[in-house]
Amino acid sequence: MSDTAGTPDGELADISAQLRRQALSVFGRSLHIRTVDTGSCAVCESEIRLLAAPHYDLHRLGFFFTPAPRHADLLMVTGPAIRAADNLLLKTYAATPDPKAVIAVGACALGGVYPEDALTHGTVDRVVPVDVSIPGCPPSPLALLQGLLIAVGRLTERVSALSLDLDAAGRP
Amino acid sequence: MASWFYRGLRRGIVTTRYPKAIDAWARQLPSPPAFHSARLTIALADRLVDACAAGALSRADRTLILDLGKCTACGRCIELSNGAAQPSGESLLASPDRSGLVKTVPIRGGQTGDE
Repeated sequence: MSDTAGTPDGELADISAQLRRQALSVFGRSLHIRTVDTGSCAVCESEIRLLAAPHYDLHRLGFFFTPAPRHADLLMVTGPAIRAADNLLLKTYAATPDPKAVIAVGACALGGVYPEDALTHGTVDRVVPVDVSIPGCPPSPLALLQGLLIAVGRLTERVSALSLDLDAAGRP
Repeated sequence: MASWFYRGLRRGIVTTRYPKAIDAWARQLPSPPAFHSARLTIALADRLVDACAAGALSRADRTLILDLGKCTACGRCIELSNGAAQPSGESLLASPDRSGLVKTVPIRGGQTGDE
């Protein structure tokens, strides 16, 4: 199903991903987001909606939600990519103008919860290329905000330096 | 251009700024486990792997592998672990690199091999 036939491999893929992220940073403080639900339980959506509430107020950071994929620069995809939503997801991806980015939101979208079977792909990256992964069930609005800022190159990720191995004192 | 726009540019003020740091309670949100590797044995690791409903935990020889992407922070492993696992307090885990979300923890306990 994966539509990655024309996608470069290896070093070229790294450069291509980097270029796309830099291109997104050009959007500066006006980046429009379209959310795509591929079979989520709607809790991720509930957290995404909270981003627009006064407490997090993502509009002041220059992110806006749009109902139209043709107006969007970034897709936030939730859910385990159910096969019934293939058409929806691929059409939305195709309708989003380049340069675009995809954020996979939540444990479902990253392969937890639902395995690959006749009904679901199991992970979003089997259908569309994913630029940033945001773990969590659901991810808190703060985690979503961090993911968005990483996607446009305004924050660097810190999870790769995270150690889950604790010593006797309970410190990593 | 409407005059309110220019008035806003001239006199608009930010009334509330973002907090300087993340609130302390953020560390109490449900978070993936961190492990005391010295207290992990192969038998215990296998019990944790079996208990993980999201399939985020797996074991390869003497290494426990946790896929943070799959983890739902349900806390089953922490409940079962008898103190060998505790909430990590980390919930800001976004990454452009999916493989960077796969964490490994060495299994250091039970070296003498009664398991």
